[in-house]
Amino acid sequence: MKQIALYGKGGIGKSTTAANLSAALAGEKLDILQIGCDPKHDSTRMLMHGTWIPTVLDLIRERGDENITVDDVVYRGFRGVRCVEAGGPEPGIGCAGRGIIATFQLLERLDALKGDVIVYDVLGDVVCGGFAMPMREGYAQEIYLVTSGELMSIYAANNIAKAIARLSRRVRSRCTLGGVICNAKNIEGEQELVEEFARRINSRLIAYIPRDRVVQIAELQKQTVVEYAPESGQAAVYQELARTVYGNETTSIPTPLEMDELESFALEFVQV
Amino acid sequence: MNSNPSPSNSSRFEGCTLTGALSVTTEVRDAVSVIHGPAGCTHHNFSLLHATHLANDRLEVPRLLSTRLTENGIIFGGEDALEETVAQALSLSPAAVFVLSTCIVETIGDDVAAICAKSRGVPVIPVPTAGFLGGVFETGVMNALSSVASLAGPADEKTLSANLIGEKNLEYGVEENAAEIVRLLSRLGIAVNLRFVRGIETQDIRRLGSAAVNILREPALRPVGEDLERRLGTPYVDSFPAGLSGTCRFLEEVGRICGIDATAAVEEEQSHQAEMLSRFDDIAGSRVCFRSPHPMLRGDPGAEAICTECAEALNLIVDPDGAAIPLPYPAPVGTAGLRRMLHRWRVLIREKRRG
Repeated sequence: MKQIALYGKGGIGKSTTAANLSAALAGEKLDILQIGCDPKHDSTRMLMHGTWIPTVLDLIRERGDENITVDDVVYRGFRGVRCVEAGGPEPGIGCAGRGIIATFQLLERLDALKGDVIVYDVLGDVVCGGFAMPMREGYAQEIYLVTSGELMSIYAANNIAKAIARLSRRVRSRCTLGGVICNAKNIEGEQELVEEFARRINSRLIAYIPRDRVVQIAELQKQTVVEYAPESGQAAVYQELARTVYGNETTSIPTPLEMDELESFALEFVQV
Repeated sequence: MNSNPSPSNSSRFEGCTLTGALSVTTEVRDAVSVIHGPAGCTHHNFSLLHATHLANDRLEVPRLLSTRLTENGIIFGGEDALEETVAQALSLSPAAVFVLSTCIVETIGDDVAAICAKSRGVPVIPVPTAGFLGGVFETGVMNALSSVASLAGPADEKTLSANLIGEKNLEYGVEENAAEIVRLLSRLGIAVNLRFVRGIETQDIRRLGSAAVNILREPALRPVGEDLERRLGTPYVDSFPAGLSGTCRFLEEVGRICGIDATAAVEEEQSHQAEMLSRFDDIAGSRVCFRSPHPMLRGDPGAEAICTECAEALNLIVDPDGAAIPLPYPAPVGTAGLRRMLHRWRVLIREKRRG
């Protein structure tokens, strides 16, 4: 079983990438489980054709965690991808990070964490220990950073690289960086910039996903691109990403940049 | 601030903010204290308060309620549980409710003050008590005293009276110490207005502002003294008296604040002290050696000076080979405290003589 996690700045396209990746992997006759780890609980929505599935934490809140079965939390979407949403407390109250930990404990107890590939789609910022849960021992061994060429997004990716580097120092840690995925905003020189960033943090660019209107159109149809436009170039990009990730055996411990390094890196690449 | 003069007492290692605050709020006898956090925080403190009261010959059950938060309360926020527990507290018809926070609810950001601010006909008063914020037992005492003081009435006219502020409710000699202050104040014709907070009712707190002087239990409570002076215009003396001359200085200071000439009172107290010391003539000339009460503990900061002063008054000889006398913690209060201390010295000196 391969367990991977997608991390990156909020709004960068992690969920779109994750859903299309899961859909493409499922097309290779693989059993896929995608777990949305974000209180917004919209990770698996395109796989579920727009249905908001009950979140694990909603169920815990309503029923208590004793009366929940696998069928209550796991829903089959496009191509049989099994979908789970962790959910979270109401905005502005409680502790969403602890919610992720409770979700993982419940999924473990229900023996739900299985399949050929588990894809964890995690909240943009690793704001506390709870959101680093998927990086811990026994969960994702490979982290993929999703970023565009925008500097804010690269800063966020660098921050997550810090979390990976920190966790990988733990004795039994198997958490590594699988690579950087560029989800393009169509900025000039974007691919080179992200490629260079990946190289400097001791990783590599494993996929360049161009910006394409079909992503938004598919979303309006509440579908992944892989389902809505299977013959499109964009679907081919996701299929290629799926093959690359599934076959990836080259991972690394990242060397995140210091703030001044990041700033000088930005100056080198951005034309003022 | 510690709970017990025994050297084995672990609360001297600074302690928990929540426990300090509870040692204050539970002394408002017609109030209920709600602890917002996991049940264990309440159980632990209930046991500690109950056992300490029993050890001090008080058969009392502290009125505590817990919101009994569990993991789901932490994930989804504990404010609803707090609402319910406040309602449960109100169903017991208390005159006031104090709501004390714990580490975990401050971590997740439950807005305890906002929940308390709702109008309920009975005062519901938040006391910030999360220990991990760096506070210790004493911080809890001070936070609680300031919170309870919000129930004080307007600063009316002062009467010739004094408040005792921040008595160490968990220590062994609370009543003896208070009685000693009452005795000393009576030399000046000053009555005690309010023991803030010790065995009182909510309505008593209204008269907090009518004393002419606040007498703090110890100098560490100065921030509370300042706070009360700002709010109610009451000046303060920063400590209960300690030592022979310290007790006389206390009378002078209280007299100065209250506009009373303390000369006669000091003379009376000095002759009372001489009479007290004469009862220990049998140990005069003995050799003594002052020691820290325990290798891991410090004595009261002023303890050595107080002991040296007593040793001189009794013609004792300080000598490394003398009878080992532990420095007291906390310092004995007034002349009566010294008398009790000298009784212990006598026992130690006699033991040493017997070998």
